[in-house]
Amino acid sequence: MAKNPEPLTADATVPAAHVRWRAWNGPLNGGVLLMALLIGVMGFYVLYPLILILINSFNIATIAEPPVYGVKNWIEAFSEAGILRSLWNSVRVGVVLQIVALPLGIFISWLLARTNIFFASGFEIFFWISFMMPTIATTFGWMLLLDPNTGLINTFLRDIPVLRNITFDIYSFWGIIWAHVVSNGISTKVMLMTPAFRRMDSSLEEASRMSGASTWKTMVRITVPMMTPIIIVVMLLSVIRIFSSFEVELLLGVPWGFYVYSTKIVDLARQEPPLVGHAAALGSIILLFLVAFIPLQRRLINRRQFTTVTGQFKPRIIDLGVWRYPATAFVALVVSILTVVPVLSVLGGSFMTRFGFFHLPKTWTMEYWRMALGDARLTMALQNTLIVAVSAALVGAFLFSLIAYVIVRTKLPGRAILDSICWLPSAIPGVLTGLGLLWLFLGTPVFRPFYGTIFLIVIAYILGGVTLSTQILKANFIQLGSELEEASRMSGAGFWRTYFGIVLPLMAQTMVMIGVIKFMFASQHASAIILLATSETRTLILLALDQVFAGHREVASITVVFIMTLTLGVALVARSLGLKVGLRAE
Amino acid sequence: MSFVRIQNLTKRFSEVLAVDRLSLEIREGEFFTLLGSSGCGKTTTLRMVGGLEKPDAGEINLGERCIVSQTRGVFVKPERRDMGMVFQSYALWPHMTVFENVAYPLKLRRMKGPVVREKTRAALELVGLAGLEERPSTALSGGQQQRVALARALVFSPRVLLLDEPLSNLDAKLREEMRRELKALQRRVGVTVLFVTHDQMEALSLSDRIAIMNHGRLEQVGAPEEVYYQPATAFARDFLGKVFALSGKIVDANDEECKVQLRDLAAAPFCVRTSRPAGENAWTPGKEVMVAIRPEQIALSSSTTGGKRNVLPVTLQASHFLGDRYEYTVAIGSESRVLTTPASQPLKPGQKIYLELDPDAITLWPTA
Repeated sequence: MAKNPEPLTADATVPAAHVRWRAWNGPLNGGVLLMALLIGVMGFYVLYPLILILINSFNIATIAEPPVYGVKNWIEAFSEAGILRSLWNSVRVGVVLQIVALPLGIFISWLLARTNIFFASGFEIFFWISFMMPTIATTFGWMLLLDPNTGLINTFLRDIPVLRNITFDIYSFWGIIWAHVVSNGISTKVMLMTPAFRRMDSSLEEASRMSGASTWKTMVRITVPMMTPIIIVVMLLSVIRIFSSFEVELLLGVPWGFYVYSTKIVDLARQEPPLVGHAAALGSIILLFLVAFIPLQRRLINRRQFTTVTGQFKPRIIDLGVWRYPATAFVALVVSILTVVPVLSVLGGSFMTRFGFFHLPKTWTMEYWRMALGDARLTMALQNTLIVAVSAALVGAFLFSLIAYVIVRTKLPGRAILDSICWLPSAIPGVLTGLGLLWLFLGTPVFRPFYGTIFLIVIAYILGGVTLSTQILKANFIQLGSELEEASRMSGAGFWRTYFGIVLPLMAQTMVMIGVIKFMFASQHASAIILLATSETRTLILLALDQVFAGHREVASITVVFIMTLTLGVALVARSLGLKVGLRAE
Repeated sequence: MSFVRIQNLTKRFSEVLAVDRLSLEIREGEFFTLLGSSGCGKTTTLRMVGGLEKPDAGEINLGERCIVSQTRGVFVKPERRDMGMVFQSYALWPHMTVFENVAYPLKLRRMKGPVVREKTRAALELVGLAGLEERPSTALSGGQQQRVALARALVFSPRVLLLDEPLSNLDAKLREEMRRELKALQRRVGVTVLFVTHDQMEALSLSDRIAIMNHGRLEQVGAPEEVYYQPATAFARDFLGKVFALSGKIVDANDEECKVQLRDLAAAPFCVRTSRPAGENAWTPGKEVMVAIRPEQIALSSSTTGGKRNVLPVTLQASHFLGDRYEYTVAIGSESRVLTTPASQPLKPGQKIYLELDPDAITLWPTA
C-alpha cells in the first residue's frame, strides 16, 4: 500500500507528458511539413519561373544551350522602339478603357440596383453571361460586324446614302477599346458593383431627397461618393491586369502592327530565331510593377469599406418616373451589344456561306459544320481542351481548398507567405507564366521530356485563377465556423480525417464551383499556354486563333461556338444548380 | 386651422393593405404622434407625407397647397415639399463631415458660403454639438449622430419635421435624455412635428396629440391624457398602459350612470359613469359588460371606510418590493390579478385588503 502511490504517479505522469507532447508538437511537426510542402510547391510553381525569367534576361545564349551572362538583352531590348511602344500601348489601352468603362459600369450598376427599371434581375443575368462569355467570342463576333471591308455593319452603312462615308474599323485603337468594353470591361464592373449598390441603406438617399436634392443630384452627390471605396477597388483590380490583356490585342492589334506588352513578348519569343532574351528582359520589367502593386492590391481587398448597411436595412428603390422607359431601353441595348449581338454574329458566321453576304444564291449552309466535325484537328483540340480543363478543375479544386484551409484554420507559421504567393498570379500576365514555364521545362533536364506533352498545358492552367479560387474558398471556410471541425477533433478524428470527413463534404458545393471556374478558365484563355503548346497539344482556343489568322473565318466561327458552349454551357448548368459562379468584390 | 390635412389616404403593398382610408389633421406648431405596433402603417403614412412613398388613393394638403392627390394627379417630389426628416438609422452620409452633412440642404438651396456656415453653426448649437463640425460623421456616438440628423433636418427651417422612430436606436438612458431634449427643442423652434413611434412612453410624454393606429386605420386621436384615460376602442385601451378589468352585468342604467353587478363576486353593484347616448348601443339592463380601469387609479387600503362606493374586498396573495413601488398579487374570486402601487404601507400576504375604484375613472365595455 505504501509503495503504490509512487509508481502510480510516475506511471501517470510519463504517459500524460507524452500525450501532451504529441498533442502540442506532433501535429505541429506534420503541419510544418505540410506548410513547407505547400509553400515549396506554390513557390516553385509561381515564383521560380519568374526568377528564371529574370535570370535568363541576362543570359545571352539561346534557350537550350549553356548559359552565358551579360546585359546585351536589356540593352538591345530597350534600344528598340517597338518594345517601349508596346509598354506604352498597354498603359494607353488600360487607361482609356477605364475612362470609358468605369462611368458606364457605375451608371448601369446604379440603374440595376437602385432604380425601378424593368427586368433588372434579368439584365443582371445578362451581365453575368457577358462576364462568362469567352473574350474570343465577343471579339470575334464584333470582328465579323466591324471589319472595315466585310463587316456587316459597314456593308450596311455603305447602302445608306448619308452614312456612306462612315466606316468603323475594328482593327484600330478604338476598335480594341470597343472589344474590351464589350467583352469584360463593363460586365466585370457591373457584377462587382451592383451588389454593393444594392446593400446601401436607402434612407441615406431618402435623407438627401428630403434635404432638397433631386434623384440625379442624389446619385451624383450621395450614392456615387459613398460607393467610392468599392469603385476604387474595382478600378485598381482592372489596372493591375493592364499588362495581362492578350486575346483582344492579338486579334485586333497584331494585324496592323499594334503590339501591347503580352503580344510583344509572344512575338519576340516566336520570331525566327526566337529573341527569348529580349522577351525575358521585357518580362522582367513587369516584375518591378508587380512588386509595387501586389501589396497595394492586398491592402485594397482587405480594406474596410464605409459601413453603409444598418440594422433597419430597407431595400427601397428609386422611382425614375418617365425616365424608366429610356433607362430600360438603354440597359437593354447595352446587354444586347454585350451578349446577343456577338453570339448571333458568331452563329451566323458558322452557318452562312460567306458571312454578311445575304444576297448570295445560297445564303445559309451546313457545309462548314460538316467540314469542321470531320476535321481531325478540331476533334483533337476538343479532346485536349477537355483533358486539360477537367484536370485543372480537379487538381485546382483540391490544391486550393487545402491551401485556403491551411491559411484560414491553422496557426502554422508561414501562412502570410503562402497567402502572398496566392495573391501573385492574379497580377502576373499569363504570357509571363507561359514563358517562365517554358524555361523551367526546357532548361531543367529532369523536366525536358514533358515539353510538348499535354501535362505542361495542365500545369500552366492550374495556376490560372489561383487568387480568385483561394479567396472564394477562404471566405467560405471563414463562414463555415470552426465548431463543426472542432467537434470532429473532439470526437477523436485527426487533421486529415477531419479534412476529408468533415471539411470537404461540407465544402462540396464550393469545391464544385471552383472546379467550374477552373474549367472555364482553362477552356478560354490562350495567353498562358500559347508559348507552351505544340500542334499536338493545341486546345480549342489556340485552334480558333490559328484559324482566324489563316483567314478561315467561317471555320473559326465553329471553333468559337464550341468554346462558347463549353464555357457558357458549364457556367449556366452550374448556375441552374444553384452555384454562385462569378466574382465578388469582398 | 389644420396645417397638414390627410384625407382617405390608402396604400397597398401587393396584397397587404398598409394604410386604409386614413384621414387626420395636424395643426400648425403641433407635436403630433402616430403610435402603433410594427406593421400598423404608421411609417408608411409618414413616408407618404414626406413623398417617399406614393399613395394608391387619397390626398394630402400642406397649408393651402395640395401636395399629393391621386385623383387630381398631383405628386410633389420629396425634395420640393420643404420637410425635414430624421430617419431611424439617422442616415448620415459617411463620406461627409458633420458640417457637410448639415450644410447639404443649405447648399442645395444655393445659399452663399457665409450664410451656410452661420446657419449650420446655429443648427449644431441648437442640438448641442457646436465645435464638432469637422468630425467625420462616422466618428460619432449614437446620440451625437442623432443630433446631427436632427440638425440636418432642421437647418433649412422646414415647414414640417418628420421623425421616424428616431429614438429607438439609442440605449434606454440616452433615449430618456433625448426625449426631454427633443420636446424642449420643438417648443423652442415651434416647428410642426409628425412623429412615428411604437413606444407609448415616448408618445405620451412628447405629444400634443396622439393618433393610435392599428392595421392601417386610426383607432383614436386625442391628447395623451384623453387617449390614456378615455380609450375609445378596445385596441386603444389594451395598447396603452395596463388594464384592470372585471366582467359583469348591467342591473340598472340611466343617462348618467350604470350599475354593474360583478360576476361571481359578493361586492355591491358597481357604479359607473357613462355618457353614452341612448340608441342601439345604449347600456341597457341585462347587458353583459366589462368594467375597466388603469391599475394605478385603484386606491388600496387595509381597512374599509364606510360610505365609499365601488369597494372590492380581496385577499392579498403575495407582495413584491420593486424599489419605487410594490407589486401585489391579489385573489379576486377564483382569479389572481397583479396590481402595482406606490404604496407606502407594506401589506402582508393573507391579509384582507380593499380596492376602491373611482366611478369617474372606470370605463365600460361591451363583452364580445
